[in-house]
This record gives sequence, C-alpha cells and structure tokens, in this order.
Amino acid sequence: MLRIAIVGCGKIADAHAAQIRRIDGAEIVGVCDREPLMAQQLAERFAVSQHFSDVGQMLAGATPDVVHITTPPASHFPIARQCLQAGCHVYVEKPFTLDAIEAEALLALAATRGLAVTVGHDDQFSHVARRMRALVRTGYLGGPAVHMESSYCYDLTDPGYARALLADRNHWVRRLPGKLLHNIISHGIARIAEFLESDSPQVFAHGFTSPRLRQLGEDGLVDELRVIIAEEGRTAYFTFSSQMRPALHEFRVFGPKNGLVLDQDEETLIKLPGARLKSYAAKFVPPVRTARQHIGNVATNARTFLGRDFHMKAGMKNLIETFYRSIDGATAPPIPHREILLTARIMDAVFEQLDRRSPQAETEVPAPRRRAAR
Amino acid sequence: MNSMQHIDLHGSLVGPDDLILVTGAGGFIGSRLVARLLDLGFRRVRCLARQPLDPARFNGDAAHVEVVQGNLLSPDDCAAAARGAAVIFHLAAGRGEKSYPDAFLNSVVTTRNLLDAALAQGALRRFVNVSSFAVYSNVGKPRRGVLDESCPVEQRPELRGDAYSFAKVKQDELVAEYGRKHGLPYVIVRPGYVYGPGRDGITGRVGMSPFGIFMHLGGSNTIPFTFVDNCVEAMIRAGITKGVDGHVFNVVDDDLPSSRGFLRQYKRHVRPFRSIYVPHAACYALCRVWEWYSDWSEGQLPPLFNRRSWHAYWKSTRYSNDKIKAQLGWTQPVPTAEAFDRYFRSCREKRAHA
Repeated sequence: MLRIAIVGCGKIADAHAAQIRRIDGAEIVGVCDREPLMAQQLAERFAVSQHFSDVGQMLAGATPDVVHITTPPASHFPIARQCLQAGCHVYVEKPFTLDAIEAEALLALAATRGLAVTVGHDDQFSHVARRMRALVRTGYLGGPAVHMESSYCYDLTDPGYARALLADRNHWVRRLPGKLLHNIISHGIARIAEFLESDSPQVFAHGFTSPRLRQLGEDGLVDELRVIIAEEGRTAYFTFSSQMRPALHEFRVFGPKNGLVLDQDEETLIKLPGARLKSYAAKFVPPVRTARQHIGNVATNARTFLGRDFHMKAGMKNLIETFYRSIDGATAPPIPHREILLTARIMDAVFEQLDRRSPQAETEVPAPRRRAAR
Repeated sequence: MNSMQHIDLHGSLVGPDDLILVTGAGGFIGSRLVARLLDLGFRRVRCLARQPLDPARFNGDAAHVEVVQGNLLSPDDCAAAARGAAVIFHLAAGRGEKSYPDAFLNSVVTTRNLLDAALAQGALRRFVNVSSFAVYSNVGKPRRGVLDESCPVEQRPELRGDAYSFAKVKQDELVAEYGRKHGLPYVIVRPGYVYGPGRDGITGRVGMSPFGIFMHLGGSNTIPFTFVDNCVEAMIRAGITKGVDGHVFNVVDDDLPSSRGFLRQYKRHVRPFRSIYVPHAACYALCRVWEWYSDWSEGQLPPLFNRRSWHAYWKSTRYSNDKIKAQLGWTQPVPTAEAFDRYFRSCREKRAHA
C-alpha cells in the first residue's frame, strides 16, 4: 500500500484526493496546509486520519511514500525539495516550478536520490490524449511532427478562478513571474514540448492585455499570448486567449503524411489524412469521412462513460496511477524529465520576452503616407 | 425604505454613535443593511468590502460611512476593520460555486480571522453571524412539518453535494464554538431565500434549468422567501436587541407563496417561459437515482442531487417566523404583495435594459 500525503488543501487538492481514493493500493495518510482549518476540512471530507499545518511535521508524522504538492506555484520548489530530501517521491502540480533553474535543481535532486518526480500535466493523460499518443506511435503522422498548433484558452468570466483573481489585487497569481499566464499555459506548452527534439528551441512571443481587461483597469495582466516555437525542421504555434470564442483547448499536429486534431473539451480526435481526392470528390467524400469520425468519437465517449471511466479528471487519475507504477522503476515515468524541463525553459523564454518588450516598445509597421488630395 | 418602521434605539444594545461594522457591505443584502442603519440614525457605520465603495451609494449621509477596503483572509485587514466595533454584521461569505475549499476558505477561515480580531479589540457587544436555511437538515421532519430554529442542522454537510451549505454549517459551528470557549456575544441569523431588486434569479427551491428547459421542482411547496428590506430589519434587530446572545433566528416573511404560485406570477409579470413540472415523487426518485449513480460511478456525476438535498430544498415544508416576532419584535415592514410587486418590476426593468 502506497502512503500518500497532500500538501496544500485548496481547490485542486480536492481533485487529487478524489482521484487518489479511486486508485487501488494507495491510501491518503495525511494532508497539510499552512492554514490548519483548510487541512482539517480536507481531512474531514476525505476521511484522512491526520492533518498538519507544517510540512516537516507531516513528513515525520505521516511518513508518506509520495507527496502531492498542490500549493501555489511559488512554494513548489522549497516544498518539493524538502520532500525529496526526506526520501519521498513527489507529484508537483503545474506549473512545476517558477523557472527552469528551479526545475533543473529538483530533477537533479530526485535523480541523485533515486526518487520519482512528475508534474500535473494531466490533460496529456486524458482518454483522448492517450488515443492520440497511441496513434502517433503507430506511425500515423508518417514521420516526426512537422508542425503543431496548441491553443489553450481561458474564459475570464469563469466564476470560480477568474473572478477571485480579478477581485483581488493581492492574489498570488499576480506575483508569479508570468502572472496569469504562468499558472495556466503550461498545459498547452507541454503538449508541444512532447514532440520537440531540441533542448533549446527558438521562441518568439507576443503578448498584450485585451481591451476588455484594460476596461477593468487590469493593465498589468497579459491575457492574450501568441508564441512561435521553432527548431530544426519543426515549428509550433501556441495561442492563449481570454477573449476568443470558442475558448479552445485544442492541439493539432501535422506530420509529413497525415495530421491529427485533438479537442480536449469535446474529447474528440480527428484524423486529417494527407492524401487528396481528385476533383469534386474532394468536396464531398472527406466531409462524410469526418462526420463518421465524429460519430465514432461519440461512440467511444459513450462507451467510456458507460464504463464509469469518463470522469472530468480521468486524465489526472491515469497520470497518478502511471506515476505510482513508475515509482518502483518497473515502468518509465509518465512525463519524461526532459519534457518537464523543456516546458519550463519555453515558459521562461516567453515571460522574459514579455517583460523585455513593453507594448510601447514594439516595432510597428509604419502607417502608409496619405496621398495628397487631388 | 419609506415603508420601514421606526426602531427605537433607546434601550437597545448600542446607540447611534457606537461603531457598527458591516462585512460584505457591497453585496445585495449588505448595501441595504448599511442604508437602513443610516436611515435609523447610526452615525458610525464602517463597511468592509473587497472592492472600493462609494459611501454615497447608500443614500444616507456619506459622512457617517467609513469604507475599509480589505480582505477577510488578511488578519491585518480584519484588525483594521474590527477596531472599535460594537456590533459586527458579518454578511461576507464565499458561495464557492462548486468548490468546497473555496467556499470554506471564504466563509470559515474569513470568519475565524474576523472573530479573532473582534475579540482582541475588546469593544464587541454583538456579533451577528448571517447564516442560511441551507444549514438545516430537515431529514427527520414529516412532510408539511414546520421548520423552525429548533430543527437540527445537517450533521454530514459534506454529503449534501453543496459547497455553500457545507461552508455555512461549519461557519455556524465555529461561531458557536467561539461563544462557548471565548464568551463571544453572538447571534445567528438564518434567512430563507432573500429576494428583491438587484437579485433577479429564481431560487433552486422553485426549480432549475439543468438541460436548458426549466424543471419546476417546488410544486405546491411553500417557498421560504424573505424580501431584502424585511430581512435587513430582522438582522438589525438581532444586532441591537438585548438579551438574545447565543440565539438563532430564522427569517421568513408572512403570507409566503407556493412555488407554483410564484412561478405563475413570475411568468406573468417578468417573462413567459416554458417549464416542466416534476412531481415530488419523481423529484425524490431522481435525487435517489442520481445519488446512487454518483456513488456507483465514483463521482463520474458529482453528487449535486441526493436525498439530503431533496429533504432540504424540495420536501414540502412550512416555515415559522414566530421567534423573530416574539423575541426581536419584528413585524414585516414590506407586505409580501408589495415586495413581489417591487421585485417583479425590477426584474422587468433589468430585462428591458439588458
């Protein structure tokens, strides 16, 4: 039986506790939060026998094998380091750390101690993401990915998170190096990192505050971001937007032969065959084939639902299970450490460019001269 | 507030120059409460709000209003807000939407911070904890039984599937605990569904639209409405009446309409829309099946509907306001017919300007 502890008893900790409870061979033995009442409420609701307000006391008192770190990002590094030093495997919620330097240090410490580490990029382990990965492994793309497009949007009218952030000028998200973006974009960046081969791709970022957010007096929050990522023979676009509709959570990957479109919200995977039909057949046959694929997706989703495995956080459960299985070294870690680090590096590059280039400093294409009136 | 009665401050717990703190003063109920306090002649009303508030918005003498911008999660902000307060009306709460931790953090942790600050500053004479009918279990009651202050509170609120209810139960427990352990002079006020201009939704006790069409679940049930001005009147009386420390007061109006009657009036006066009536037995069966499926599927569907929620929200129940009448001297300032008239008018105006 794996002994599990959770540090940080906020909203996402609920999802962790709910999914851990569904996993055979795992037991939550302690929860911890700097605010004792928060630790107490989680312990009460999930029937956890011990709760703490100090990580050191939790490590000593609950003696967990694995610690899930679900605190705000600024504390990920010190808490994860403390847990690794105490001999625990750690699952760190996204974003892994504040920057790549911290990420590298944690991964090195884990390697030195022979401990397992992963990051909460659970969208990559949803049913549809796993179907996509399996298809890519069969060679469906016809070779290495040529181009990717990852969209990860966020609706700022969402009552839960955004309203709390916008109403609170001291919200912890505002103190992150990348602010709002820092807490959200790693899901979408990680999808791209999975297909990159270089450790240092080129990154070109452009970000701005949407007019809507400016109206609310939020000049300091960038909520529109476009990124181009390039390496030898491969490119990717990343889009984060709070304003565009639909608010996509989509990933497109194109190989030399075929492409794939993954829609995270609808949990659909659509194949984009590279071969073109001739003449009018190209106008009629592919839409029918696409319609059939959509129906197939509906059937797959329905089957999964009827099989009681279509939870909103099914990806998290799979990631946690895979991570637990990798702890004894029998299987590879669910997310390669290289990918964790690469995601952090790309995010660093994005935030560094956004910091460096204020909107006023951006080069604009000169407006055409007015022609003299005739 | 023209139809409001005069409350005699002579002989009350506080006088017009005592400092009154209102948390959640920018909200639907809080803003009416502040306006009424000014109307009654209180000259030192402090408002705690997360967002900046214009003291002039309360339609009283702005010089009598002090706005403290702050967050109850900050002990320093709580200390600043509570300093010198003789009565605290604690309305701020986190609805949490569907998140238990959010609701708990913004209801219970915030209340603890405020209580610590209030006790430390030593001037407190009454802490009015604004709770909700959502805390009552109503499980053991027969159909059409009377729900009053003696009814048991939900013992396992985490099983209700309602983050707000969970947080409110825990908040009430905390306040009572501070009363026992630290001698906190408190009262708990539990309003039914507070309605009025500024809140145009339909309470889930009447029904909801989970799949795009309105499911009418209330049927012939009496709905525990209280008009915002009537509710505010009860809160103020709970805050200034001597000799009621440790008491709980439910607040509902007289002449409560049935769910069906309310819905008919709403459709007539605000907007027509289609609704499907779900009989009580079917509603109970739906809740039972949903609860079973949620358990069986390990939460594939969240436990939003269950037998506990049916008992609390959709079981035929009668409501009593005898205690606020007897112990606080409350009489309903705005008659129910007039209150609904004002409410429907505001709903229509809001739709016209949407």
